[in-house]
Amino acid sequence: MSGDMPRIWMAFAAAICVWSIAVGFEGRVASYVGTELTFSTILPLGAAAMSEMFIIVIGDIDISIGFFIGLANAVAARFLVPDPLWGALLLVALVAAYMLMGVLIQVLTMPALLGTLAASFIWEGIGLALYPMPGGTAPQWLLSLYNSQPPFVPFPIIALAVLAVPTTWYIRRTRQGALLRGFGSDPRATATFGISALKMRLIAYGLAGVFGVIGGLAVTAISNSASPTSSAPLTLLAIAAAIVGGSEFSGGFAVPVGAILGAIAVSLATTVLTFVNVPSNYQDAVVGLILLGALTLRMLVRRVER
Amino acid sequence: MVRGDRPMLRGDPRRGRAGLWCDIREAPALVTFVGVLVEWGILGAIAHRGVAATMEATLSYACFLLLVGFGQMLVIALGNGNIDLSIPAVMSLSAIVGVAAMGAGSTTDILIGLLVSVGVGICVGLVNAGSILLLRVPPLIVTLAVGLVADALALVRTSSGEYASVPPGFVSAVSIRFLGIGVLTWVCLGLSPILGVIVHRTVFGRSVSAIGQNRSAAWFAGVREGRTIVVAYLISGVLAALSGVCLAAYAGLSLDLGTPYLLTSIAAVILGGSLITGGRSTVIGVWAGALFLGLALALLEVANTGVPGQYIGEGVLIFAVLGLSRANQLLIQRRRSHG
Repeated sequence: MSGDMPRIWMAFAAAICVWSIAVGFEGRVASYVGTELTFSTILPLGAAAMSEMFIIVIGDIDISIGFFIGLANAVAARFLVPDPLWGALLLVALVAAYMLMGVLIQVLTMPALLGTLAASFIWEGIGLALYPMPGGTAPQWLLSLYNSQPPFVPFPIIALAVLAVPTTWYIRRTRQGALLRGFGSDPRATATFGISALKMRLIAYGLAGVFGVIGGLAVTAISNSASPTSSAPLTLLAIAAAIVGGSEFSGGFAVPVGAILGAIAVSLATTVLTFVNVPSNYQDAVVGLILLGALTLRMLVRRVER
Repeated sequence: MVRGDRPMLRGDPRRGRAGLWCDIREAPALVTFVGVLVEWGILGAIAHRGVAATMEATLSYACFLLLVGFGQMLVIALGNGNIDLSIPAVMSLSAIVGVAAMGAGSTTDILIGLLVSVGVGICVGLVNAGSILLLRVPPLIVTLAVGLVADALALVRTSSGEYASVPPGFVSAVSIRFLGIGVLTWVCLGLSPILGVIVHRTVFGRSVSAIGQNRSAAWFAGVREGRTIVVAYLISGVLAALSGVCLAAYAGLSLDLGTPYLLTSIAAVILGGSLITGGRSTVIGVWAGALFLGLALALLEVANTGVPGQYIGEGVLIFAVLGLSRANQLLIQRRRSHG
């Protein structure tokens, strides 16, 4: 497939469909304040989907992102207020820990899913050690940034766009972005060119860690506290968002705009579920079905194209 | 990742007949068995319960892990990213449905309940294998999603918030002992040689290994991939269902009954020396892995690390185990290349 446009259009159609349904249920969703409210909760998922996209593009799957965002949330709420420098250093250390996870997956030749599953236990354990009960506060600058009300376009929309634009440039226009996609579609081909697989995993997991930390900051701003386990559902939502947004499990595809649109679609879908009184307990199962449904649809489309 | 580092067939012509359980010269589970002995010694010394009593207590809950581990072993042996993540959900769902079917708890009721839970395992196994074959979606995603749906079904079944009580007849049946060893341990002991024969001597077992070692070569050799995948997931589903319903009798019914078995079922298989990339599995290795994990969890409990420490310990353990497994694999390769 030459361009990413068909994938972006598919994700856009999905997002518009779900958004229309949401507006149909509750008209105020479309107002400035309504947009601000619904889209602000999408922000962590947007970052999580971006993180997941950088892992899926190299053909791996990351099922630790939810607990990692929870951990970043705990670290931010605990350390950024008393000592900003120390807090910032710890957040950088978290990104390094994500890169270490990538290195271990590469060196031990384990499936990414197993490595990230094991790491998710470590993230959850550290998060729970920091905050067995929800607590902590967000730093003032984060709150005022988050609560800023720019004219015409609500802040969350701007933030989502800020996530998508530089990543699109990176993935489409830089050498590294091209290498990531190439490594994802055929690791042996890039190996022939002398590209080290370890370096590719370092880059991918490093970027995923950066967006995980951004997601953690977003969660901190929204809740103004830390609750390490409440971000856990983000894992599945992020995978679904990335897939709806045009990523392929086989690797090689990364469409940042699509991933953000996918995050909007998936997140609004869960909002609609609460409108029709589906208990939140069933949310995981519904997201699982959305994921399988999207994959089935794509397989059918491909079969028809052939 | 690298095609070249696939292990050779167990029936390698240079070494004659395929080993029934494992080749002692390779001894994939040796490190783990040594670890079991060390843990056993430490625990026996701290717990002041005597060496035999310690092992007996460990076996009484390790057998649930053994049962799901055997199924997971077959699925992992398929390679190509096959791992059954629906095991915890199958355990919970089959326990909830099975115990409900036991009703009053007469002997026939209990048998019906067991059959019903096996049915749940068969259904989930079929859905797993069917979706993998028809949708061509990565097995991990399929089993993850199927597990979530099974979890939701279990939730619907218990939406009243009350769990049915496990009939006392079933509880006493599960806790019967012969010669001081629990009935479930006997079941595992009886099942092991059967599984050993299935894995190493039957067309199905050899097909599983062949697919795990090289899928396209297996296809050219005429291995029936679809049928093999279906049977492997069926066995995994049925064993998880049996383990789940028996665990309910041992530990009581709950929605997250199976949750701890997600990571430990994989870890037990890998600890035992089966390859995570598939193509090589050892039944006796699962014993080593399950005992090692059972004793490790008991040690963590004695050390009183609390929930966070337990989580971190489990996560680090997986990385350590895979590190050892990788080192072992490299060692075997070096030995082979030197003749």
